[in-house]
Amino acid sequence: MANSMKTADQLIVEKHTASLHQGFHLAPELKNGKLPALGDHRWTADLILSTWVQAETGKPPTNGLEHRVGNSGGGFDVLDFKFLPEDRRLSDDVTVDLSIPLNRRPYDRQIEIPIPFYGAGMSFGSISEQVMCARAKAAQAWKTFTCTGEGGYPGSLLAYKDHVITQVATGMFGVREETIQHAPIIEFKYAQGAKPGLGGHLLGDKVTSSVASMRESLPWVSLFSPFPFHSVYSVEDHKKHVDWIKTINPEALVSVKVSTPTDIDMVAVGSYYAGAHIVHIDGSYGGTGAAPEIAKKTIAMPIEFAIPKVHRYLLQEGIRQEVVVMASGGIRTAYDVAKAIALGADGAVLGTAELVALGCTRCSNCERGRGCPFGLTTTDPELSQLVEMDWGAERLGNLYRSFQLQLSDLLRRLGLTSIRDLVGKTDLLIYCGRPGAR
Amino acid sequence: MYHRYHLQTSPAPEIAPFPNRTRVKVSKRGLAVHLLKELIRYRRNPEVALSRPCVYGVFSGPVGGFAPRSNSCVGCLRCTIEHPEMVQVNLNPKHQHLGDSYFTPEHVDTICYEARTGRIPVKGAGYRGRFGGEGWDGMWTDMSEIVRPTRDGIHGREFISTSVDIGQKPPFLTLDEQGVTTGEGVRTFSIPIPVFFDVPPAPVLSRKFIEILVRAAQEAGTLLVLPAEVLSKFAFQGQQIVPLVGRDAHTLPKLRFTPRMIELDGGNEALLMETRAHFPEVTICLRYEVASKEELVRHYRSGFRVFHLVANYHGRGRNGRFVLDLIREAHKTFVELSCRDEVTLLGSGGIIAAEHVPKAIICGLDAVAVDTPLLAALQAQFVDECADREKSRFRLPRRLAVEWGVQRLKNFLTSWRDQLLEVLGAMGLREVRRLRGEIGRAMFQKELEREAFSGIEGYGQ
Repeated sequence: MANSMKTADQLIVEKHTASLHQGFHLAPELKNGKLPALGDHRWTADLILSTWVQAETGKPPTNGLEHRVGNSGGGFDVLDFKFLPEDRRLSDDVTVDLSIPLNRRPYDRQIEIPIPFYGAGMSFGSISEQVMCARAKAAQAWKTFTCTGEGGYPGSLLAYKDHVITQVATGMFGVREETIQHAPIIEFKYAQGAKPGLGGHLLGDKVTSSVASMRESLPWVSLFSPFPFHSVYSVEDHKKHVDWIKTINPEALVSVKVSTPTDIDMVAVGSYYAGAHIVHIDGSYGGTGAAPEIAKKTIAMPIEFAIPKVHRYLLQEGIRQEVVVMASGGIRTAYDVAKAIALGADGAVLGTAELVALGCTRCSNCERGRGCPFGLTTTDPELSQLVEMDWGAERLGNLYRSFQLQLSDLLRRLGLTSIRDLVGKTDLLIYCGRPGAR
Repeated sequence: MYHRYHLQTSPAPEIAPFPNRTRVKVSKRGLAVHLLKELIRYRRNPEVALSRPCVYGVFSGPVGGFAPRSNSCVGCLRCTIEHPEMVQVNLNPKHQHLGDSYFTPEHVDTICYEARTGRIPVKGAGYRGRFGGEGWDGMWTDMSEIVRPTRDGIHGREFISTSVDIGQKPPFLTLDEQGVTTGEGVRTFSIPIPVFFDVPPAPVLSRKFIEILVRAAQEAGTLLVLPAEVLSKFAFQGQQIVPLVGRDAHTLPKLRFTPRMIELDGGNEALLMETRAHFPEVTICLRYEVASKEELVRHYRSGFRVFHLVANYHGRGRNGRFVLDLIREAHKTFVELSCRDEVTLLGSGGIIAAEHVPKAIICGLDAVAVDTPLLAALQAQFVDECADREKSRFRLPRRLAVEWGVQRLKNFLTSWRDQLLEVLGAMGLREVRRLRGEIGRAMFQKELEREAFSGIEGYGQ
């Protein structure tokens, strides 16, 4: 469309979109140095900028940006791998298998994904429809999954339905028979890492008429997903939920998303016996939506501690081979994915990393006013246009490709041909938390 | 009559300039050139040329980016990403100098937000801080996947009690032949929140400042510790005031009212007896810096039942140990003596964030006394390092107003109470009293790390 035909609003969006895209390209080149106010302990400026590089090029950066670890001083940031000496590493022509199963039980539908991660639940309302579709399109291209979050199932997602997990959470927003029937996997969200034990809260400012319509509520009125499911007070109650889903969609796999309390190991075992195919543990340091700071920092344990606890307990119970453990809540890099697997997960779930790939600077203003100034966590009609679906899907696909490259390289350096052989291999890790330990 | 605890919050904006975290710098020449180019390019749509890369109003002044409004900047960096050649967003050195090495600029930001709004700080995009660390940072609280009351309690549909009892309880009741209790009975009183105001440092003890504390404590139904001499000097009195009496007790007879509690500063048995003689019905609390558990037991045996354990403003006790460890040790000491329910443990020093309250209670405190957060809420500036209670210096705003100060402290307390409710709600606890000493509802980094990482090469070396 010629400029003369476009409205001023279209031109404004176009102008800023072009400047932003150029900015995401230029900033990691460091011609003006690193942005002085960018980054924090968990997501350092290096990590954010290197994620932008990966989202643009499909490869890790080569200009010295640290793309593997942050500067948090603990967890994944103090773990490294014990790589083999160069002469014992697998050569580049050896094929390595990054696929993981999402059902390890001998019955029910068998689904595999070719990369050991999929996208986390982010609801329509907390993010824009464009971002949702970009994630779904990338998931389809990579034969993996993304998740609706608890905010309904926009019609535009139907084109990608074989790669969209429908989330069922306590507010039941957008949960309908057809949205259950569309989905190959149903995720029950019992709790989430960013607000463990507290439920969800979509601020009134974000409940636009389209969001309200999707959630069957009133515009501009805050929406609460209460905590907990008031119909579930035991594993048996949870089994009833699973049965209910199975009645509507017998083919669906069931994922149970839980937070990380002290008894997370027992929760995992209970979920398994209630029929879950996937136990998705969500640590406290992640999360994309607005959450009380006290909850993120203080309540429930970080994922790095929860994964081995769950893995070992499932092993002791003799059921580890029948359940898939997915980890989320602070997975930022390909190295984090690999470390999570080495600690005992089968795979990882990405949330914030995807938003950073789309331009998030982690300024934490998702909930303020019109929402994200980059058009990600917003339903503002103008701001949300800053992210085009195709551009977003390409960025995410590139990030996945970079993660794939790094994970393949990492396995070769460890002498492994399959990511499945890395599960629980803590003997391949090295702790470098204290000076001199590395 | 049943009274549901509620504090009225109301916006109380800063009265003294508060440095923003970031500072926006725009090259005027660069902007002029850019603007000119855009006006030519979009000559038919000047609003496109003039549209700005900020949704928070940094460039919304009459001359736009030529005089950026840095105080509106939230640090999203969109402007500098779009226009790196002419916009720079830097960390503001004035902001980085807020507080001190323990009370960091982020803590000051948070307290000011709480005092300004009365709300729980809510942010998106995950946690930004360090993984764990020493002291409070190496501790997490538990949650339950399925237990009530939780969100309902947080939103007031179910009741979660934050009341705590202060005083002494006998291990059991003694009855005479007629079934009437004899000897020492239960002598406690309740405060509706487990947070009260600790004694402020001497240099800030002006009449106006004290009036703010006295009124805020009264409206919140909590306590305020003030030196007895100051009370005599300014003639303040009220049930919310806890006189702090020095070692010589000469101020005791000068007290013009009967408080609910008196704190004895590092007292001894003789002082305890003398205070009891003057105020037989009053709860007497021993305030002192804990150094050893033997000392604590000695004080218990000399008759003290209420203890206010004090650390310096950075949370360090007399022997350099962190307040968290001191609290745990004190609690454990009384558990081992089988008398924990007979005593009350209060504590202060280094408790500077809302999360520290439930953590301190889990470690064994019944209630927490806050000190430097009150000063930060009232926009006091820290002068250099402020660790030592005697030597630290703070500068209060010149235009300190009583109404404003009272509202700031009420907002602050409301925010801290609501955050306590979040933590209790996540655990499914109905009352804060049940949290005391519940170490099983806490997770410590050292233990979690040992459990998760032992066996990994390099760990423990």
